Amino acid sequence: MFEAAGLMVFYENMLALNNVSLQCGANKIVGVFGANSAGKSTLMYTLSGIILDIRKKEEMAGGERMTIRGRIVYEGKDIMSDKPSLRARKGIILCPERRRIFPESTVLENLRIGSYLATTAQAAETLDYVLTTFPALKRILKRFGGFLSGGEQQMLAIGRALMAQPKVLLLDEPLLGLSPAIQYLLAKAIKEIRDQRGMSIIVSEQYARPIIPIIDYGYILENGAAVVEGSKQELLDNPDVKSAYFGN
Amino acid sequence: MDIIIYGIINSVSLALMAVGFTLVYGVSRLPNFAHGALYILTGYLTWILMNRAGLNYVFSAIIALGLTGLIGAAMYQLVLIRVRGMPISEIIASYAIGLAILEGLRWGGLKGGTFRLPPFVEGSVTVLGVSVDFQRIFVVILGATLMGALWLFVNNTKLGLALKGMAQDERAALTLGIDSDRMAVTATAIGSMLAGAAAIILLPLGSIAVESGYHVLIMAVAVCIVGGLGSWTGAVLAAFIIGFAQILSVVYFGAHYQAVVALLAIVITLICRPSGLFGRQKELEERV
Ligand SMILES: Nc1ncnc2c1ncn2[C@@H]1O[C@H](COP(=O)(O)OP(=O)(O)OP(=O)(O)O)[C@@H](O)[C@H]1O
Ligand SMILES: [Mg+2]
Repeated sequence: MFEAAGLMVFYENMLALNNVSLQCGANKIVGVFGANSAGKSTLMYTLSGIILDIRKKEEMAGGERMTIRGRIVYEGKDIMSDKPSLRARKGIILCPERRRIFPESTVLENLRIGSYLATTAQAAETLDYVLTTFPALKRILKRFGGFLSGGEQQMLAIGRALMAQPKVLLLDEPLLGLSPAIQYLLAKAIKEIRDQRGMSIIVSEQYARPIIPIIDYGYILENGAAVVEGSKQELLDNPDVKSAYFGN
Repeated sequence: MDIIIYGIINSVSLALMAVGFTLVYGVSRLPNFAHGALYILTGYLTWILMNRAGLNYVFSAIIALGLTGLIGAAMYQLVLIRVRGMPISEIIASYAIGLAILEGLRWGGLKGGTFRLPPFVEGSVTVLGVSVDFQRIFVVILGATLMGALWLFVNNTKLGLALKGMAQDERAALTLGIDSDRMAVTATAIGSMLAGAAAIILLPLGSIAVESGYHVLIMAVAVCIVGGLGSWTGAVLAAFIIGFAQILSVVYFGAHYQAVVALLAIVITLICRPSGLFGRQKELEERV
């Protein structure tokens, strides 16, 4: 069980997350939907601990003052003060917004860098699994990360995150900018990964439509606050949600 | 032929001087201005261990390298960590440490001429009609070996790959459990040891003098700026360009133009191609 309660994040005086609480049970897929600037990435950075690093850098550079409040309980412990590398070690792995593939490394090297936390055996097994799940990567193992298409980048980003042996996988807008066909393929792969490898997955998106079929539970984020939450069916039946997040 | 052979020797020397500086900058965006001081310090420690503690050459060199690595790590852990992300402070702090080491050594009586490391093997050979002493042959062989070993380390070990990831995208590396402070300490320690290794290989050609500490720093900075800050391929290429340019200047204009070449290379690079041959300046601008 992965549980966040009362998350508040201020960038200077701007409230980016307003008292957000969220839960993700074992082997569940949870969706977080919100428009641009709703606070999805801020939430993902807070859950993965990257926000602590962002705050540290702002402090060093004498930039804006950030305030972070709330609790994140994982495996019975509050991990809010754990730095990102420690949270990753505990199995909380973020696949960040806009993928952040290592551009000067090949596809294979991206995956190998991803296996930093894995044992040799785990790395070999996971590499096999990633290439079976995303066969498209097999043909481009030697290509540099900087030369990949958006779809290839996203498969690689998810594959690289899997190499880190996640127990809670955080996906920040994995479908952004991709064609409907690839969106469908990726959504299917995300569900498969959960079914086959057993992990909790929290996925954020602007549009709910391609992701909603695979989620167990979802939250709607507006201006930093979780305004609606519910099971897949409850979200589908909610008229406000329907008009705002199932459009086009 | 002279030009080619001495050009290669000079280029490899420059690459040796610069590689540690590039590594640290590439991984942690930290310009380590104590680089030249660590170079001289390793030479001095080796000398002390040999001449005062009576250890043999190889032992002294290994212990001196280890100590320099520890000093580099301590320098990061105690001082530089507090100013991370503030480039000007990073430069001032590391330069201040460098000054303290170099001027401390000067105050302690380190003067050129008296302190020398012996060449590994005395004598010279004739290579393609040019007479070259053994030490310069060692420079090329050990220099190439060291770069090769570094390449293998960076591309094949978990730690090396983590350093490579951190160098390319810190935030992505963080999400994979790679810790930025730990990588920075590691890079600073390895970078310091590379400065030390360069010293042990190169110092037998001259004497251990405070001035060469400053000289090495200038050369490292020149190579990195021309090659593109943080690019390892760029640094090697730049070492060869500056290395050959220096030898050519000696042949055609006289020895004292050698120092000007490196500075001229910096100026020309900054005017024509500010990000260097393989620069990441654009990315750096994006980060801001
Ligand atoms: N480093 C920062 N400094 C100041 N404000 C920030 C910073 N990062 C995010 N914000 C602000 O916080 C709010 C939430 O941003 P966030 O990136 O979390 O939104 P998002 O839901 O991920 O949007 P998108 O769909 O565009 O990715 C926005 O108004 C944004 O401008
Ligand atoms: Mg976002």
